[in-house]
Order: sequence, then C-alpha cells, then structure tokens
Amino acid sequence: MKRDRDREREKKSFNGGVSNGGFSGKGKIWEEDEEETPDAGMDELLAVLGYKVKSSDMADVAQKLEQLEMAMGTTMEDGITHLSTDTVHKNPSDMAGWVQSMLSSISTNFDMCNQENELVLSGCGSSSSIIDFSRNEQNHRTTTISDDDLRAIPGGAVFNSDSNKRQRSSSSFSTSMLTDSSAARPVVLVDSQETGVRLVHTLMACAEAVQQENLTLADQLVRHIGILAVSQSGAMRKVATYFAEALARRIYKIYPQDSIESSYTDVLQMHFYETCPYLKFAHFTANQAILEAFTGCNKVHVIDFSLKQGMQWPALMQALALRPGGPPAFRLTGIGPPQPDNTDALQQVGWKLAQLAETIGVEFEFRGFVANSLADLDATILDIRPSETEAVAINSVFELHRLLSRPGAIEKVLNSIKQINPKIVTLVEQEANHNAGVFIDRFNEALHYYSTMFDSLESSGSSSSASPTGILPQPPVNNQDLVMSEVYLGRQICNVVACEGSDRVERHETLNQWRVRMNSSGFDPVHLGSNAFKQASMLLALFAGGDGYRVEENDGCLMLGWHTRPLIATSAWKLSPDSGTGAGEVEM
Amino acid sequence: MVQLENGTNFFINDNVDVLIVILQRLDGGSLGVAACVCKLWCSITRNDSLWEHLCFRHVSPPPEGVRTVVLALGGYRRLYMVCIKPVLDRLRKWKKGTGFDESEVMKRVWMQHEVELSLSLFCVDYYERVFLSGGGGAAASSLMFLCNAVNV
Repeated sequence: MKRDRDREREKKSFNGGVSNGGFSGKGKIWEEDEEETPDAGMDELLAVLGYKVKSSDMADVAQKLEQLEMAMGTTMEDGITHLSTDTVHKNPSDMAGWVQSMLSSISTNFDMCNQENELVLSGCGSSSSIIDFSRNEQNHRTTTISDDDLRAIPGGAVFNSDSNKRQRSSSSFSTSMLTDSSAARPVVLVDSQETGVRLVHTLMACAEAVQQENLTLADQLVRHIGILAVSQSGAMRKVATYFAEALARRIYKIYPQDSIESSYTDVLQMHFYETCPYLKFAHFTANQAILEAFTGCNKVHVIDFSLKQGMQWPALMQALALRPGGPPAFRLTGIGPPQPDNTDALQQVGWKLAQLAETIGVEFEFRGFVANSLADLDATILDIRPSETEAVAINSVFELHRLLSRPGAIEKVLNSIKQINPKIVTLVEQEANHNAGVFIDRFNEALHYYSTMFDSLESSGSSSSASPTGILPQPPVNNQDLVMSEVYLGRQICNVVACEGSDRVERHETLNQWRVRMNSSGFDPVHLGSNAFKQASMLLALFAGGDGYRVEENDGCLMLGWHTRPLIATSAWKLSPDSGTGAGEVEM
Repeated sequence: MVQLENGTNFFINDNVDVLIVILQRLDGGSLGVAACVCKLWCSITRNDSLWEHLCFRHVSPPPEGVRTVVLALGGYRRLYMVCIKPVLDRLRKWKKGTGFDESEVMKRVWMQHEVELSLSLFCVDYYERVFLSGGGGAAASSLMFLCNAVNV
C-alpha cells in the first residue's frame, strides 16, 4: 500500500537520524526524494507527511522550519546546542518546555539575531553532512558567507535544480527531521511548535482537498491530523481533534444524528454556562436592555425563542422585583423543540420559574410552545395582548441563526416579530461568519473562531486547585464541566464542517451581517447603555482568567471576546416607526 | 469583663445592645470568629440583621423590598458569604489593577452596582440550588467561579 511505503520511508530517514554515522546518508535520502519529484507538483507522498506540495505552501512551511532551525541554532549560545545537534535527548520532558520558552523569547529577538542565524545556516550548508554541523560548533561562528546565498533558500527553491541550494535546503529539512527523529523513539516530540504549524497546515490542506472533492487525499490527511494532534497539548489538541472528526464525518458521509440532540444539548449548554462567561454575559446584557425598555410598564411579556433551562430569567425577575415602584406583572412565553421522550420540558421550567417568582413576590404567568422551528409560529398563536396594556420583549440567544438553513424562514420570523410589535428585541449571536457559500472559507473561519474559544476555556478551567474564599466549603472547578463544555462546542464544529443544506443549522453570521438584515427588515438599533457595559465588565472581572476576556462597545452593541478576538455580540432592536407590513396590534 | 472608672465591673455579655453595636462594625471574617466565642455571641452573630448591616454598610440605603427578596432567597448571611464578599474582594483586586477612579462618589456608585450584581447572582444561585441540583443542598455550580483563585 502506498501509505506503508511512505511509513517505511519515514522510518528509514528516522533511523538514519538515530545512528550518528548515518546523518549524511539521511541527507541523501532527502535528496533522492527531491530528485524523484522534480517539480513542485501534487506529490501525495509528501502530502501524507503533512506537506501540501504546492510551491506556495511549501514556501510557507519551509520558511517556518527554516526559522525554527535558525532559532535553535542561535540558542546554542545559551548552552543547549545538544538540542539542535545530538540525537540523545537526556531529559525530553524538560526539553519541550525549554525549547518552547526559548523559541518564544527568540522569536521576538529574531531580527536582531538574523545576522548570526545566517552564519549558522551557512555552516550547515557548506558541510556535506549534518554531523559536521553537530560536532563542530566552532564552524558556525567562524564561517562567514554573504547574505545572498542564504536568501536563495526560500521554500519555493526547494525543488530547484540547483544542487547547491538543494543540499542546503535538504540539510535544513534534515535538521528538522532530526528533531522529528525523537518521535520515532520513545521520547516526547520536542518541537511542538513546528508540529503545531504543520497541524494547522494539514487541517487546511485537508479542507482544501475536501473542497476539491479529492477524498482519497483528504482521507490520508485526516489520518495524519490525528497523529499530529496527539503531539500537541491543551486547546490546540482538542480543537484539532474535533475538526479532524468533523472532516472525517464529511469525508465518509457519516452525519451525526439529529434526534438525540435536544435534551442532551440542554445539559451540555448548562455545563457551558457554568464554566465560562459567554452565556452569562449574553443573559445579563440582554436582561439589562429588556429592563430598561420595560421602565414604567405595569404588565410585561417576554417571549424567549429558546427557553432551554430558563437560566436567563431569575436574574431579570429579581431585577424587576427590586425596581423602584415595585415589580410589574411578568408573563413569560417559552419556545422549545419537541422532546424525544415527549416530556413537557417547557412546562417543568415554567413551573420552577413560577415558584421562584412566588418566592420573590413577582406576579408570574407562563406559557410554553413546542415548535420544530420558529418559522412554524406566528403572532396569532402566541396570544399577544393589546400593546397599550402589555409591553412585549423578544429575546433570542443563539437561536436566530438556525433559521438561515431554510430559505424564507428568517423573513417569515422577522415579519411575525413585526406583527407582535415588541418594545424591544434582544439578539445574541456568535460573532463569526460560518455561513459562507465556499466550504474552505467556512472552515478557516471556524478554525480560528473555535481555536480562540477553546483557548479561553483552557484558561478558565485551569484554576482547578482553588482555595475556598467563603465559609461554606466549595469543591474546586469540576473538570467534567470543562469537558462537557468542549463537547458542546464540538457539536457546533461538527455541524459547521460536516453538515450541509437544512442539516447545517449553525449558520453563524457576524454582527454587521445581522445589522444589515435587521435594518433592511425594518428595525432600528437600540443602544445598550453604560449600565449594561459596566455590569458586563464587572461580571467578567469576577471570572478566573478574567484578564483575558474583553468587553467592547461597538456602535451601541456589546461584544465579548477573548483578547483581541470578539466571540459573541449582543444587540437590541426596536421597530422603526415607518415599518410597513403588519405593524400594530394583532386581533383575536 | 472590664473595670470602669467608677469601680463597677462591666460584663459585655450583660449588655447585648452594646455588643451588637460593636459587632456591627466588624467585617465578615471577624464576625465568623466572633461566632466561636460563646453561645450568646454565636446566636447574635447568626442574626441576619447584623449581616444586612454589613452588606449595605457602604451603600446608600437599599431600595424597599430588598429585604423580603433577600430573606426569601436565603438570607443576608448567605448573600454576604456566597456573593457579596467574593464579588467585593475580586473587584477590589481588579480595580487596583486598572487604576480606578477612587473619588468618593465613584466609590459609592460602584458599590451600588456591585451590590446589584451580587443580588442578581444571588438569585441565580437560589434558582440553581433549589431547582436545578435536585435540592440536595449542594452549592450552586455556576457561582463556582467566585470561589476560585483569580490570576489577577
């Protein structure tokens, strides 16, 4: 089988790296490879190793490998030459962290060290075998060579017929193979940064292959992603694993079952609610907007497009209970999907909220509607009372984007909303464009978005050894919560990548896209005030790892993100005064 | 026991009103310590009104109706321990980090917001505790984050 042959070839080169005397031989193996593939074409063999063999990609990857090698060469001054030279790694676990820290500090000083790097590389190139590179450290420092030679080693020149250049580049590959050789031995792969780069490239290459319907290549790449992912740790590993699974599902056309979903998703979302602030942010900011819209009203009605466990409403009810002038009469309409076991989940949630309302002294009424899709409902079903007596708010948290999977659904729902004539519509959505027509664009967007998401989860879940601050003993953060949150996100990833057509419901769109849609449908934005901003900032400050979260105000809307990347956005809308169709009360 | 100038002995335990006035000036941790002194002190410190005073000490008087709500949701002592204290501690560290405006008015305004946030979180805590975790009395999980050490 082709793949076995590849593995053998890999092993050969690895083994060449293991024995000291075999270095020069190894360099030759690589040269042979390159001779067999004269031009930068679609070499599937190299692709299996993780290199997408288009010259543009090769340039990128080779350049990164080059940088890495340079960086490792410079670190020799700090006394860890054996990292880049010897094959015997004494303390592999230490190496990994050591190299990581060196690499990160070196990358910042990279420009300064450039001169020296060039010296190092030239030393490598002028010798015919790696062994000289490894043994004679003095060579690096004393050899001088002009800059021109080294600039002639871009990645694109890898398959150049100039043998001199090839040798140099092959040696750079060999050196990287050196570091990889540790993977063949029972030793932790040191160069996780390089494999991280390769992992991302392999993911993108696989998506590209899927886009071009080259499923055999995609299949091989997917398997390789699995191998590479194991060498990573933390967020990168999890993201890669989920994306690999989603790609595999797409390739083999094994689509996830939709019917098991709804109650399980509720549980997963609860865990997600507990481990990170995104949902809490969504709820608190939306509640603040609703609260402000309801000032002065004595009867209020909230329609929740996805009730789930009703976690948003206790806080709103408490705020209504304590507002100056006393609480209004509060009516809640919850909409949810049908349950597989026919239990009335909505009614149970309504009952719990009713008990809470009674405890805090708020007059409460609940109604639940089961619907497969929001488009199945309209204003007449929802029992809207005349707007002089009752103020209506519509709340949608991570729900409206699902309507984009069926043509015409979103327009129908927006029309229904207009017929309901609410005082305010609060909309919380993921801030990403996962609805592009082209698969590869969607894939890349999703990769970046969920990588950031998982990064933030990592930091919030990492504080597991907690010292309790209260008198009541509290157990540390549950790792299971973290895992369940990741499963929750993993399902979204699966849907974005593997599904198509009306199955693909996670059609996230950015705030600007929603703005265009809402504006053109006859809604005007309502600015979320400074109270909402302050409350959101305080809420985030309370979270461990809270220094990574950022609240931004974007033209009246609030966005929560991780470092520089916004991840969810809350916006509020009201009907524009001149919106034509169906505005006004609904009779009967 | 204290000996007064006029020679009489003053037993604090005989003058509970004075004791209460003193206890009202303590912080949460000290109140906890005070509860360990003797049965009388324990019963006094467990009195919710003391904790109510502690919760709203630095804030302008809370709106009417807060007491009923708080008592229904678990009482001031619980409010303080589960929500207000961690919130204030955490935000104090955060504010120090961000070089916050420390003028008196700003302080009061922020206190108000912090208390409001704490009340909302307290309500969420009640909902989770009573309705979602099967009423087993286990601590609400969504407020776990308040108990974790913060890398501030």
